[in-house]
Amino acid sequence: MLSVRHLTKTYPNGKKGLQDVSFTAAPGTVTAVIGPSGAGKTTLLRSLNRLITPEQGTVTLGDQELRGADAQALRQARRQIGMIFQDYNLIEPLSALENVLQGCLGQKRLLPGVLGLYTKAETSHALALLDEVGLRAYAAQKTRDLSGGQKQRVGIARALMQDPKVLLCDEPIASLDPQSTRTVMTIIADLAKARNLIVVMNLHQVGIAREFADHIVGVNAGRIVFDDNAAALTELAAAAIYEKEATALA
Amino acid sequence: MPNAVSVMLHHQRRVRWGSLLGVVALVLASQVVLRVNVHQALFGVVAGWAWLGAHFAPNAAALADLPEILYQLWRTVLVAIAATTVAGGVALVLGLAGALPTSHLKAVRGLVRLFASLMRNVPFVAWALILLFSFKQNDFTGFLALLLMTIGQLTRAFIETLDEVGPGPIEALTATGATYWQVIFQGVLPAVAAPMLSWLLYMIENNIRDATLVGMLTGTGIGFIFDLYFKGFRYASAGLVVLAIIAVTIGIELTSNKLRQVLNA
Ligand SMILES: Nc1ncnc2c1ncn2[C@@H]1O[C@H](COP(=O)(O)OP(=O)(O)OP(=O)(O)O)[C@@H](O)[C@H]1O
Ligand SMILES: [Mg+2]
Repeated sequence: MLSVRHLTKTYPNGKKGLQDVSFTAAPGTVTAVIGPSGAGKTTLLRSLNRLITPEQGTVTLGDQELRGADAQALRQARRQIGMIFQDYNLIEPLSALENVLQGCLGQKRLLPGVLGLYTKAETSHALALLDEVGLRAYAAQKTRDLSGGQKQRVGIARALMQDPKVLLCDEPIASLDPQSTRTVMTIIADLAKARNLIVVMNLHQVGIAREFADHIVGVNAGRIVFDDNAAALTELAAAAIYEKEATALA
Repeated sequence: MPNAVSVMLHHQRRVRWGSLLGVVALVLASQVVLRVNVHQALFGVVAGWAWLGAHFAPNAAALADLPEILYQLWRTVLVAIAATTVAGGVALVLGLAGALPTSHLKAVRGLVRLFASLMRNVPFVAWALILLFSFKQNDFTGFLALLLMTIGQLTRAFIETLDEVGPGPIEALTATGATYWQVIFQGVLPAVAAPMLSWLLYMIENNIRDATLVGMLTGTGIGFIFDLYFKGFRYASAGLVVLAIIAVTIGIELTSNKLRQVLNA
C-alpha cells in the first residue's frame, strides 16, 4: 500500500501546491490523478518520491515513512519507486541499454556506480526488460535517435530495472501520438497487474484515465475533489473536477 | 497603440542617424589624434606586403634553421596542450560547482562565476607580464599565463553547457536512489562530454596561437626564436617561423574539426 495522509505543500513564493491531500493506492492497480492545469498533480506526484518535500503530512510505503526520512532512508526508499516523465529524461547520447542499466544505479555500491561497471546479470536483465517493452532490437541505438514512444518505453524499462514496488508517471503520454499513447498505456496497465505494481499516474485525458485506470483521484486547486473507482467517474463528476472553483465532492 | 509604435519607430530612426554621425565623428577624431589617415593606411598596407615579400621569403639559409624552428614549435605546442588540458580538469570541477543543475548552493555558484569572469577578462599577455615577476623567463611562466586565462574561459563555457542539460536527466537518476557522484558521472558527464571536448579542442587551437605571443614575452619557444631572428635582421628565418606557425595551426584546426565530427556522430 502507498498511503498519503494530510500532505500540504506551499511553494516559497506563497503558491499553495497541495492542501491536506490524502488517498491510498493499492498494488496491482493503476491510480490516475486528473485535474485542470495548475491543480497540483505534478506537485503531488513529485512529493511521493520527495523530489519535492511537503512541509506537512506523511507518505507511507509499506512501513517506511518518506516525508520525514533522512538522506540514507530516502535513497533506500527511492530504489523501490520507479519514475517516468513526460519528456522521458533519458541520457540522450547513451544507448537504450545504457539508459536502462542506469535504473539499478541506486542498488550499486558507490564506485561501480560512478564508473558505470555493470555485471553480466545486470546487463542480461536490462536486455530482458528491453525485450519486454518491445525494444530488444534497439538496445545499441542511441536514445537520441528513437521516436517519442520508443523513448518512453526505454524510460519504462529503466524504471523496471529498479525492480520497483511503485511506478510514478507524470503525464507519460502527453508528448505522444494516439498510437504510441495506446502502446505505452497498455504496457503500463499490464505491468501493474503482472508485477503487482502500485502505479500512480498524472493524466490530462479523462477518456484514457477511464479506460486504463482502476482508481481515479481528482485534484483541483491543491485539494482532492474526487476519489473513487474509475467506473464511478461519470461525465458530471469529471466536469466537476475540471471546474474553475470545484466544490469538494469527496 | 499605433501612436506609440510610430513614436517608437521615429525614435529608432533618430537613434540610427545619431549613431552613424557618431561613427563618422569618431573616425575623424581618431585620424587627428593618431595622425594617420585612411588613404595613407591603405597604401601603407600594400607597400608593407611588398616589403614583406622581398625580405621574409624563406631562403636556403633559413632552411638550415628549420630543425631548431620545428623543435621550438613542438615545445610551444606542448605548452599549449598541457595548459589547456590541465585547465580543462580544473574547469570541470569549477563548472560542476558553478552550474545550476549540479550545484545547490547559490553562494558557491556566484563565487565560481565571479572567479571565472575575473580569470577570463585578464588578457593572457597581462597574465604573462604579471607572472614574469615571480616566475622569470621560462616555459612554466607561459604555461601558467595560458592556464589561468583558459581556466576562466573553460569554466564559463562548461557552466553554460551544464546549465543547458537542465534538471530532467539529473532528476531521473536521483529518483532511482543514485548518489550525487553516481548521478554526475553516469548522468551528467555523458550528456555533456561531446560539447565539453569540443570546447577543449577549440581552446587548444587558440592557445597554440596565443602561446607564440606569450613566448615572445617569456623568452621561450617559437615566439622567442621569432623575436631572436627578427631582432637579428634574419628576416628569412623569421618568415619561415611564421609559415611554420601557420602550417601547424591550420593542421591542428583540421585535426580538431575531424575529431569534432567523430564526437558528434
Ligand atoms: N517551483 C514552483 N514554484 C512556485 N510555484 C509552483 C512551482 N511549481 C508549481 N507551482 C505552482 O503550484 C501549483 C500546482 O502546480 P503543478 O505543477 O503541481 O500543477 P499540475 O496540476 O501538474 O499542472 P499541469 O497540468 O499544467 O502540469 C500551480 O499553481 C503552480 O503555479
Ligand atoms: Mg504537471
